[in-house]
Amino acid sequence: MMHRFLYIFIALMVPLLPLRTRAQQPSVFEVKRMSFNADGFSNISPVIVKDGVIFCSNKRFSGIKDRISFDGRRLYNIYIAEKKDSSDFKKPMVLKSDRSNKFNNGPSCIAPDGKTIYFTSEVETGQLAADKNFKNHSGIFIAELSGMDLISLRPFKYNNPLYDVGQPSLSKDGKYIFFSSDMPGGHGGSDLYYCEMLNGDWSSPVNLGPKVNSAGAENYPYMHPSGKLYFTSDRPGGIGQLDIYTTSLNHGSWDEPLLLPEPINSTSDDFALVAEDNLRKGYFTSNRNNEDDIYEFTSTIIRFAVCDTLIENNFCYRFFEENAVKYDTLPFRYEWKFGDASTATGPVVEHCYAGPGVYTVQLDVVNLITKEITYNEKNETVVVTEEEQPYISAPDSVSTGHSIALSAEKTNLPGWNISRYYWNFGDETIGLGMNVNKSFLKPGTYNIQLIVSTEPEPGSNAREACVSKNIIVFPTP
Amino acid sequence: MKVKKPIYKILLLTCLLGLPLFARLSGQPVPGKDENIPFLVTFGKEGKTSWGDDDFYQVFFFSILKDYTKPFYIRVFDPDCGGENDEIEGEFNSKTKFSVYGGKGVDPDKNEESKGLLKGLNYKSGNLLASKIFGNEAKYDNKYYTFGPFNPSEGDFNAKWNSYIFKIVCEGITGDDGNLYRYFLSSDPDKNIPVEGANAFTYAYHFRMWNDFRSVAHIYPYIDTGIVYIRQSNFDWDNDGSILVVSRYKQGIPVPISNEDNWIKSNIPIEPPEVGSSLDFQFHKRQGELVKNNNVVITLENQRGDALKFFSSPIGGVPIYQPKLGYEKVKPKK
Repeated sequence: MMHRFLYIFIALMVPLLPLRTRAQQPSVFEVKRMSFNADGFSNISPVIVKDGVIFCSNKRFSGIKDRISFDGRRLYNIYIAEKKDSSDFKKPMVLKSDRSNKFNNGPSCIAPDGKTIYFTSEVETGQLAADKNFKNHSGIFIAELSGMDLISLRPFKYNNPLYDVGQPSLSKDGKYIFFSSDMPGGHGGSDLYYCEMLNGDWSSPVNLGPKVNSAGAENYPYMHPSGKLYFTSDRPGGIGQLDIYTTSLNHGSWDEPLLLPEPINSTSDDFALVAEDNLRKGYFTSNRNNEDDIYEFTSTIIRFAVCDTLIENNFCYRFFEENAVKYDTLPFRYEWKFGDASTATGPVVEHCYAGPGVYTVQLDVVNLITKEITYNEKNETVVVTEEEQPYISAPDSVSTGHSIALSAEKTNLPGWNISRYYWNFGDETIGLGMNVNKSFLKPGTYNIQLIVSTEPEPGSNAREACVSKNIIVFPTP
Repeated sequence: MKVKKPIYKILLLTCLLGLPLFARLSGQPVPGKDENIPFLVTFGKEGKTSWGDDDFYQVFFFSILKDYTKPFYIRVFDPDCGGENDEIEGEFNSKTKFSVYGGKGVDPDKNEESKGLLKGLNYKSGNLLASKIFGNEAKYDNKYYTFGPFNPSEGDFNAKWNSYIFKIVCEGITGDDGNLYRYFLSSDPDKNIPVEGANAFTYAYHFRMWNDFRSVAHIYPYIDTGIVYIRQSNFDWDNDGSILVVSRYKQGIPVPISNEDNWIKSNIPIEPPEVGSSLDFQFHKRQGELVKNNNVVITLENQRGDALKFFSSPIGGVPIYQPKLGYEKVKPKK
């Protein structure tokens, strides 16, 4: 009986654990709904372009004759919201094509040339359309952007009227196209595929495999220039129905996808994320306010562009008799007393102190000809101090998944009343406090930044200092 | 600053005019007090060079400040060759001639031959003011003989030192014994009273080493402007100990030592701060078996081959080594 209750208790608690873990990680993103969303309509699938954001919306295209699909839904068309300034956008304008207002024209991406657009539309079904219950499947179309027109439309080689192919994303170099499809042979629902540009033609679609593609539906792939793949999935373990994940190709295989943290993911549907090159800003779609809208996310992570490299405290010194070192052989013996009960002999000697302090170094000289000893011929006061810097106490390396302790307790900034210890772990996560724990999920070299700051003091501003240290993360054997 | 009293004005004027360094000196004993050398030595010309004299004569110069106008005297201690102090070879049969010169041709800055380093040339240049030959004469043994009085203006004027230069040459004209002697430049014929601001110098020092282990002899060559290194030559050291070169910047640079009856040469680098001061050549006796009656010769020249002056009273004072302790951080050894 007791065992039964125990099992039930554990079963209830386990799902809560990830949430508890997430709660320890301070939120590193802020999100806001974009002003160009058309109220009352669905606005989805943003694409970052030089002049603004391309997205899809089913808002009215024409006040007179807006077509709807056979099942009564409004058609999506492609819009661009150009930047008004660094923080606001102009009223969106439609990017017209021959397909506008005839078919759904949706999720897209732009090629590295900045002119070629790959977008999702409906595949013309020909005779299949004779079946009135037949629903057009989506396919990818390619067009050139000319002003506000999409011209020279051509279909993607692997469009098929029998299944969906859509939501394209091109790699930074344009050599790979990622897309979503429910073509046969997948892992369930829609899966993510890629094709490689070989000899001017796209190779056959390759399924991204079971780590990325679950039994659920994977959609909206977005290959970030950094090599991170973002996608949307309704797999179990998320926060809401649709959630955004990220993964990377590591030695030929995809890493276990990571669920993006709140507030990007929410208990609602969150999907179709794109990001700027530095990953500090981007856009995604969410229906957290009961309709599909585009949101902007910005990273609140502090990372200093210029941050001093941690200097390990070093209490080792070389002492020398400056005139003696000019000559190879001298008839003198130089006997050093370092002020900490240590001694050494020679014109040039080295000594490491155990720690900071004020030491009187004394040089006795023995004249080897006269045997005369000059005691304390010269002495020098050596003040040994720790480096004045924030200090990161942490191992130099760790294995993936293993927690390490990082401490700023050895920070030496005399006169600073430090009010905040901020850790940037270099993997888009942060920590707060003098002592933190961290585990890394992926191998690599992470540049840790410790940023300490004080509250503004009377007559002076707040002070900040940053120090960084690399930690190498090895794969766990 | 307001100076009221005339004496202060004189002192201030003296400082401002930068009177020659000689002005502070009174280097009348030769060898000088700081040199701690017992005797100069000159052998009769029939002696062997292996006994410690390479040329059987020794030239010394005296400088008298231009402002000093009183008569002066050159007193020679133990000028004879016999009795106490001198080095006998068989029997005392040597005669030594002391000659004092003044006037044109004496100043070695203007007359290279006057230095006495170029054998066969006229190191006796100048006007002979006085001379006397000494044999084995008890009345001069262990006593002073006085040359003079001399009028300072009889010397050869050297503008650089603002002084009149006189020269005394000691020659072993016959015999083979070693005459050991000293000089004193005095303002009094019967007593050793220093002449204010005077000094003495030579270019080739022939002297007797101490006969004990502890005494350290010194000579003080002056490092003039433009000297980059000096070349020392020492003769007949008999490996009797060590020569160390000391300055404010040199704790003791060892100099190679000659053997019996031979010369050995070596270079000693000069650091810029050493220019305008004197070096201290220290002669340490070898510990252990005592070498007695060791007579030696040392000369110095600069990188151009010009001989350096040894002042009996070191210009700028006796150089004392100033140790310099340095330290720097280093990476800990793993």
